[in-house]
Amino acid sequence: MRTYQGDFVIDLPRSSVWAFITDPERVGPCIPDLLKLDVESETRFHAVVRVGVGPVRGKFKLSTELTVTEPEVSAELSIRGGGMGSGVDMKAKLTLSDTENGGTKLDWRCDAAISGPVASLGGRLIDNEAKKITEKMFNNLSKALSSVSEQVAATSEETAEPGLKE
Amino acid sequence: MALHQTELRPLGKCVGRKEDPRFIRGKGRYVDDIMLPGMLYMYLVRSPYAHARIKSIDTSAALQAPGVKLVITGEDLEAMNLAWIPTMANDQQMVLATGKVLYQYQEVAAVIAETREQAVDAAQLIDIEYEPLPVVVDPFKALEPDAPILREDREKKSNHVFHWEAGDREATEELFRNAPVVVKKDVRFQRVHPAPLEPCGCIADYNPSTGKLTWYVTSQAPHAHRTVLAMVSGLPEHQIRVISPDVGGGFGNKVPIYPGYVAAVVASLKLGKPVKWIETRTENITSTGFARDYHMTCEIAAEEDGRVLALRVKTIADHGAFDAAADPSKFPAGLFSIVTGSYDFKEALVEVDGVYTNKAPGGVAYRCSFRVTEAAYLIERVMDVLARRVGVDPAELRKRNFIRKEQFPYKSPTGWTYDSGDYEKTLALALEKIGYEELRKEQAEKRARGEFMGIGISTFTEVVGAGPSHTFDIMGIKMFDSAQIRIHPTGKVIARLGVRHQGQGHETTFAQIIAEELGLSTDDVLIEEGDTDNAPYGLGTYASRSTPTAGGAAALCARRIRDKAKKIAAHLLEVGEEDVVWDGVSFSAKGLPGKSVTMKDVAFAAYTNLPEGMEPGLEATYYYDPPNLTFPHGAYIAVVDIDKGTGAVKVRRFLAVDDCGTVINPMIVDGQVHGGLTEGFAIAFMQDIPFDDEGNCLAPNWMDYLVPTALDTPHWETDRTVTPSPHHPIGAKGVGESPNVGSPAAFVNAVVDALAPLGVEHIDMPIFPWKVWQILREHGVTE
Repeated sequence: MRTYQGDFVIDLPRSSVWAFITDPERVGPCIPDLLKLDVESETRFHAVVRVGVGPVRGKFKLSTELTVTEPEVSAELSIRGGGMGSGVDMKAKLTLSDTENGGTKLDWRCDAAISGPVASLGGRLIDNEAKKITEKMFNNLSKALSSVSEQVAATSEETAEPGLKE
Repeated sequence: MALHQTELRPLGKCVGRKEDPRFIRGKGRYVDDIMLPGMLYMYLVRSPYAHARIKSIDTSAALQAPGVKLVITGEDLEAMNLAWIPTMANDQQMVLATGKVLYQYQEVAAVIAETREQAVDAAQLIDIEYEPLPVVVDPFKALEPDAPILREDREKKSNHVFHWEAGDREATEELFRNAPVVVKKDVRFQRVHPAPLEPCGCIADYNPSTGKLTWYVTSQAPHAHRTVLAMVSGLPEHQIRVISPDVGGGFGNKVPIYPGYVAAVVASLKLGKPVKWIETRTENITSTGFARDYHMTCEIAAEEDGRVLALRVKTIADHGAFDAAADPSKFPAGLFSIVTGSYDFKEALVEVDGVYTNKAPGGVAYRCSFRVTEAAYLIERVMDVLARRVGVDPAELRKRNFIRKEQFPYKSPTGWTYDSGDYEKTLALALEKIGYEELRKEQAEKRARGEFMGIGISTFTEVVGAGPSHTFDIMGIKMFDSAQIRIHPTGKVIARLGVRHQGQGHETTFAQIIAEELGLSTDDVLIEEGDTDNAPYGLGTYASRSTPTAGGAAALCARRIRDKAKKIAAHLLEVGEEDVVWDGVSFSAKGLPGKSVTMKDVAFAAYTNLPEGMEPGLEATYYYDPPNLTFPHGAYIAVVDIDKGTGAVKVRRFLAVDDCGTVINPMIVDGQVHGGLTEGFAIAFMQDIPFDDEGNCLAPNWMDYLVPTALDTPHWETDRTVTPSPHHPIGAKGVGESPNVGSPAAFVNAVVDALAPLGVEHIDMPIFPWKVWQILREHGVTE
């Protein structure tokens, strides 16, 4: 099991951020290297993404399910799938809180279990790749949210630095 | 200089290897070199999960892919009663998974297509839905009461496979209770893999018009494989021909029957076409027979002066998901009870518990002589711990405890009868040749300067040559071996044996034995092995058994021919048989100087000029059931220097003095020793197959699982003493595995000896530089 986590701040009230991140139609396109998105319901969507870790390159099919733990505060995303003889099982937890100047802080933490040849490549490759993917994911998310707020939010770019922890 | 192959009396000489011209010119013929008309290719779909239930398998897209002829799943095999096959250890294993998978990279489906690339591409289209289950990678956790039960097919609802013990429990406990000194150490022999250059593979070629299956397979035991295949598949055994062509390294990795073999045979039977399956490097390391994985706790009871009294060993053996260890059937822990080694223990108790985990099956491979590697490493390592505790030099401690020359045949406390040995002589030669006294002086000076230099000794005893058929069998088949010799009219010989070499040099050494016995040159003798349609039945080449068993058969078979030849010689010399004398090169008549005939003369006569009433021809077959095992031994010494800044260990010198009894070809013995030492070096310093908590194999390729190159490998010095086996026809004992059995302890003992001033008593292998660096840092030696 590997754990990745980070946080960033959005210049939008908590209710707007919540509405965005719980909408598969709007969150889905933020997935990096997305090839295909198929929204099944308000809480479930399927995605096909392009993956490249070291010598292993191909497509991953992922199924995502959203569970609200506390409305407007926290939600969990379970992501499971795989491809190319490899499997991935992730649980992402998102927590929102108000900032002093009316914005929203988004804390995220992701526990990932990876199996198959991709996992066998070892931490040195996976950690970097996972860091790249999560950075892209939350960069995309924060960009999309910024455009929603009709402001040019330079601050979100600066703080979108996902940390990395084993 | 190598002896010319045309010279007579070749035994004990450095005859150039007859097989080398084809190998060194790249003209060897391995399974993957064989191309048959209309041949199809198979690729296996493997599990990414170490433990998961299979919810569904959808093969429809793969079946539509270009070139695909067939897809096989576990369900298909179930319908043929082939989803499970027996292992060599009284267990069963899945061929293609049904219900659930039990280790990462387990075989789940097979795709057969016109080209290898098409099969690989189509395999990606097979959609398998898994439900991951809790994974057990730690064998100790597997034994906890709340551990998930891995093997639902077994009646016993536990991950415990077997308990096995040898020795006298009460007598051992008694000695421990009253012993003045007791040392105890936990020692791990990590999971490693032999990783032969040529991975496993086969071509199954079923001919529907003749009903005959020709199975080309890279096999160390083609005859046994034919029998197992006949029993598993129901095909009549005489309709199966197993051909093991040149084998690119075996090291025990090519003894078991693997799922890919069965799947390829099924595919060929279904399609009526030849089907080739060759695994990749990753498939080889992750799914075929690994080696070791023993968690051992060793205690020695001794007197104050270091004389040993009793030995107690408890072991947890991690067998992976199936017990597929290729052991003789009465020995679930192999010959591990040889762990009392070269020392005269009064009593011993050895216990082994086998455990299932979510890892690939195996355990017996990599030049291990059926687990003697683990035993020799353990006793040689812990004897050094004892030496340190009682303050006796490790060489001196060994001398005090050796079984003496006059004690042979020696009955060990775990039930072995050692045939012969002279441990003191071998160690004395090693100490003298390495300059032990001077090295200790140099070490003392270096220690005074704060430098780290170590000397490590290993005086191991091997047990090989299984075996006497009253004790040794594999799946019920007795472990004898065989030779068949035919002498043609011009005195040229074809000899076939029941074993199968993989680089050991049988084409030369067995030719030397036969040529020696028949008064011919090695050039006159062609050795053939590996084709079950023409070689006599035998159990194969592993556990250093070829020379002790088939080598004995070759000598006795040649003597059987010589008996008939003597009668023909009497006829040619016109004397009575009792007046014919054999001098090793020719027959002569007593009291008639100058009158003699050679084996070539006799051979010609056997087809042209026979005594009245004698059956024509000159050939014989011999099935040799050895009366006992053989017990080679050796004294190995490693000298190492440690870099204080990086923790890197440099092996400055390594001397191996082996005693393998009569030496057939010193150059080949040196080659065997060099190869085995290089593997022992790799195990001590480079090799390990770890898993993460999800059961992912973390060393599935040669980037993470290291194989030493010429640059890594130290310079090897070798020497020998010769204590012939009293029961072997030519006194030979076998040597292939001694260097891997004996060397890891010498390396580790040397590193621990170097670090002894810091209070270090043990370091588990592999000794990566970072492990040494951490120790140096903990003690403030480096920053």
